[in-house]
Amino acid sequence: MKKYIKLLNFEFNRIAKLFVVLLGITFVTQIIGVIVVSKNYLNMANEQIYDERINKVQFLETYGQMSFLQVVRSLWFVGPIALCLAGVALYIFLIWYRDWVGKNTFIYRLLMLPTTRLNIFYAKITTIMIMTIGLVSFQLIFLPIEILVMNSMVPNEFRADLSVVEIVTSILELSIIIPGSVVELILFYGAGLLVVSILFTGILMERSFRWKGIFAGLIYSALAVVILISPLLLQEFVLNGYFYPSELLVLEIVMGLIVLGATIWMSGFLLRKKITV
Amino acid sequence: MIEVKAVEKNYGSKKILKGVSFTANKGEITCLIGINGVGKTTILNAIMALTPINSGQILIGGEPIDKHTFEKITFIPDAITMLPHMTIAEAMEFMNDFYTGWNQRRATELLGFFRLNPSDKISSLSKGNTAKVNLLLGLALDVDYVLMDEPFSGIDMFSREEIANVFTSHLIENRGVILTTHEIGDIEHLIDKVVLLDDGMVTKEFNAEEVRETEGKSVIDVMREVYQR
Repeated sequence: MKKYIKLLNFEFNRIAKLFVVLLGITFVTQIIGVIVVSKNYLNMANEQIYDERINKVQFLETYGQMSFLQVVRSLWFVGPIALCLAGVALYIFLIWYRDWVGKNTFIYRLLMLPTTRLNIFYAKITTIMIMTIGLVSFQLIFLPIEILVMNSMVPNEFRADLSVVEIVTSILELSIIIPGSVVELILFYGAGLLVVSILFTGILMERSFRWKGIFAGLIYSALAVVILISPLLLQEFVLNGYFYPSELLVLEIVMGLIVLGATIWMSGFLLRKKITV
Repeated sequence: MIEVKAVEKNYGSKKILKGVSFTANKGEITCLIGINGVGKTTILNAIMALTPINSGQILIGGEPIDKHTFEKITFIPDAITMLPHMTIAEAMEFMNDFYTGWNQRRATELLGFFRLNPSDKISSLSKGNTAKVNLLLGLALDVDYVLMDEPFSGIDMFSREEIANVFTSHLIENRGVILTTHEIGDIEHLIDKVVLLDDGMVTKEFNAEEVRETEGKSVIDVMREVYQR
């Protein structure tokens, strides 16, 4: 356990710079987005009210109030989130391959540490999870700050104020990364953890058997997906809706745990017996 | 004792090791000699469980390798096993963090021996100094066995001399060393045991001192006999 914590600390320090850069880009871009979108709205209001000489009430009737949702729907807001997602997705592969590729032979050191090799797997997967949850948490901290910036720019009467919760729940993409309930949180992030662990196993298969490993990894991933969705397939095509939704949910969780267990076992086996530097 | 028993290793359809067997004792320097591509590095990787073998058995102190073995044996590959952006001090701290057998007093002694500056970044070091850091990280561990892959390869003459001096010092004493090389010149006088490899097989295994005394032959003489047959 102590070695796992040390490895986790070490792995996280390795991504700390990238993490801070992603956070910085997200914050700056979203703040610029708030300013640009607010300015556009205010410019339009000024144009209509002063140049076209329509009054405030008419303007608001025609164009509506500005809400933070306009910012959230802009590329300024979604762009950096997509960048962070791409960063995390890329890092799932990079976190392993950078220890092998090029002049880097750090994998020798990792595999020769006097601890179970599965700790390397655990440390890397936890790093990915911390990175993801960290990015989402900071997004939640950024949101009220960004709302504050908008509020300072757009006068009261031109604004429809929304709470952070209202903003998150009104956009599907946001409600996935920031779930509304504990059950959803466990399900969404559990599914994420499962996907990352299957990808890790695929990577370890490739690292163990090279070209043949890529095919093995693809077959393994496909098999894992089939096992995962087997209750859904049975429900749909064989049992004609025999299970209640809650039973189906429990079955899915059980399947998820089985696949996660198999994936961890397989990764441990590959790291102990098949991996090659 | 490290026992390598009938080890076979294939890369795809190519057979790299074809039943390699030899032993390396504690307190002795065993040298694996053979031309490039003969499987020397693969043997060291296999001993450290860094690559799987197809058949055979490897025992360290009578036991197959497991996580605890890495406190008893260390491997110094021909490339640095630390991250390039780390300083030498950070690399030593990493070792201290993970190995109970890390001997800081010996590490400091080695720093002085090799005249290395702990605040230097690994990426900024010359090839010779990088090899010395790699050696330092391995030798500062209180382990019974040290494996070294081509410790003299591509290194300038003076660094080679300094590294060779390590072998005659107390830094190596009482440990079992397996080292690989394809150029025996600098270290012939240091070796206790020689394992000659050719085409994935052990062609001869002998005690250097014994052959010198009984047959009046140097290691190079024996190599000439074996390889130029």
